Amino acid sequence: MSFRSLIQDMRDEFGSISRHSLRSRSHRSAGNASRAAAAGPSEAMDQSCWSQLPPELLREVLVRIEASESWWPARKDVVSCAGVCRTWRGIMKEAVRVPEVSGKLTFPISLKQPGPRDGTLKCFIRRNRTTQTYYLYIGLTEAYDVKFLLAARKCRKPTCTDYLISLDKVDMSKGSSTYIGKLRSNFLGTKFTVYDAHPPYDGAVVSKSRSARVVGLNQVSSRVPAGNYPVSHISYELNVLGSRGPRRMNCVMDSIPASAVEEGGKAPTQTEFLLSSLDSFPSIPFFRSKSARIESSTAQSSSQKKDRLVLKNKSPRWHEQLQCWCLNFRGRVTVASVKNFQLVASDDNGPGNQENVKVILQFGKIGKDLFTMDYRYPISAFQAFAICLSSFDTKIACE
Amino acid sequence: MAAAADSSGDGGTSSGEKTIVLVSSDNSARFEVREAAALLSQTVRRMIDEAGADASGDGITLPDVDAKTLAKVLEYCNKHAPASSSSSAAEAAPPAEGEEDLERFDREFVRVDMGTLYSLVTAASYLKIEGLLNLTCQTIADMIKGKTPEQIRKTLGITSEFTPEEEDEVRRENAWAF
Repeated sequence: MSFRSLIQDMRDEFGSISRHSLRSRSHRSAGNASRAAAAGPSEAMDQSCWSQLPPELLREVLVRIEASESWWPARKDVVSCAGVCRTWRGIMKEAVRVPEVSGKLTFPISLKQPGPRDGTLKCFIRRNRTTQTYYLYIGLTEAYDVKFLLAARKCRKPTCTDYLISLDKVDMSKGSSTYIGKLRSNFLGTKFTVYDAHPPYDGAVVSKSRSARVVGLNQVSSRVPAGNYPVSHISYELNVLGSRGPRRMNCVMDSIPASAVEEGGKAPTQTEFLLSSLDSFPSIPFFRSKSARIESSTAQSSSQKKDRLVLKNKSPRWHEQLQCWCLNFRGRVTVASVKNFQLVASDDNGPGNQENVKVILQFGKIGKDLFTMDYRYPISAFQAFAICLSSFDTKIACE
Repeated sequence: MAAAADSSGDGGTSSGEKTIVLVSSDNSARFEVREAAALLSQTVRRMIDEAGADASGDGITLPDVDAKTLAKVLEYCNKHAPASSSSSAAEAAPPAEGEEDLERFDREFVRVDMGTLYSLVTAASYLKIEGLLNLTCQTIADMIKGKTPEQIRKTLGITSEFTPEEEDEVRRENAWAF
């Protein structure tokens, strides 16, 4: 086969590059051992050499993409590469660092992983009152490049309200693969529980919903949701001034140890959405409590609570001249609202620490139906979103 | 006949610049190049060091690089070679050509078909020519950007081999990302 006709064939076959006979096969073994041996001439024409690209070279290419496409929408190229084939997926997943370290959101699982230790991820929430839906985006505001992250739809029930949270703007049903969790509020809108559809860590307990039948470990009642792991409990109370003062928020983060915010602490990090299957249930113990409803905080022992991270809202200061309660939102919140808050680790909420303490979650209004949400380690975008949703719902108002 | 490569490399040139002969894998082509250009390859550098005083006048054979690719690679090396060929400073010394000129050259250099690009990136890796490796990897990266997984597979002739579960995961990720 002549050199010229070989090149012509290569040009003609779109996407199908051959191992051509130009490469001397006799010296092949002397060189790079990681390269695959060439096939015979006719077979070589059908084979693609790109799938034979040595992993270290493929890695060189993929890390360049990962490093240069840091922000959305360009970041979708990273997701795209991870969807090409197993080899590419392995390399790309390994090249991508978790948000805790990189400050970047890449795959949907990033939404379940703790936010950055340095700085915050700045997001915003848009509310659609007509459809009772809330959309979370990452980005400064809609004026900039933004990326849709999560959607939540409010579903009122006789004794409680559920906000179903999904990766899809439209499909928010529990049975869908895009469903990732929910926020459930009690009747009064004073207590909330955040449920993760996937186990937040190994050995996580699953809650029994009231509608579930008692089942053996090898069976799953069709009425039990695929996954229902309580990951935080939120409560709202009036402060000592009653409705004249800002309300008090208390968030117990069941899936995060209190040590996470200490020096050298770690928060659990999901690495993939564990597929709910019958096989996964036997290893997960069912939660047994005196009350079938996890919402009741008295069901938890106090020692359990001590180990868990507790977030409280930073107390605003009364501004005598402005005659209002003020928090320093650093420009990210511009409209006064009882919904606005800053959450800090409860140990940090003493009177002396106010200015320097790290705000783990900040939420506030910037316009009609528009709110900013800034979060950081150790909570995830999913948890942050759910906590913010509770602020929409709570009935405890403030003058 | 070219002067034999010698490992002393004192950086001075007497009557002419030192040259090195590089031979393609199938022995079909011999290229005489300036030492400064050849030494852009860490592999060649190492081969010269290892050959030492035993280096024959026959040149250095590169078992994994065919004639066509070697010619193209040397085109790059000649363009990017530093003005002086002092063996220790060769990496640090600036190339003889201007920055803009080189950028233009690089852009044109990688306008090749996919087969040639593949040969170039693997040769750059084997020969350990940092600049060429960067250039070719970046070119491939730029070619991939903006494509869906299916488009990438088509362009590069890759099959996915995912299990149905993995495919679902990929589909969900891409639906969310795009």
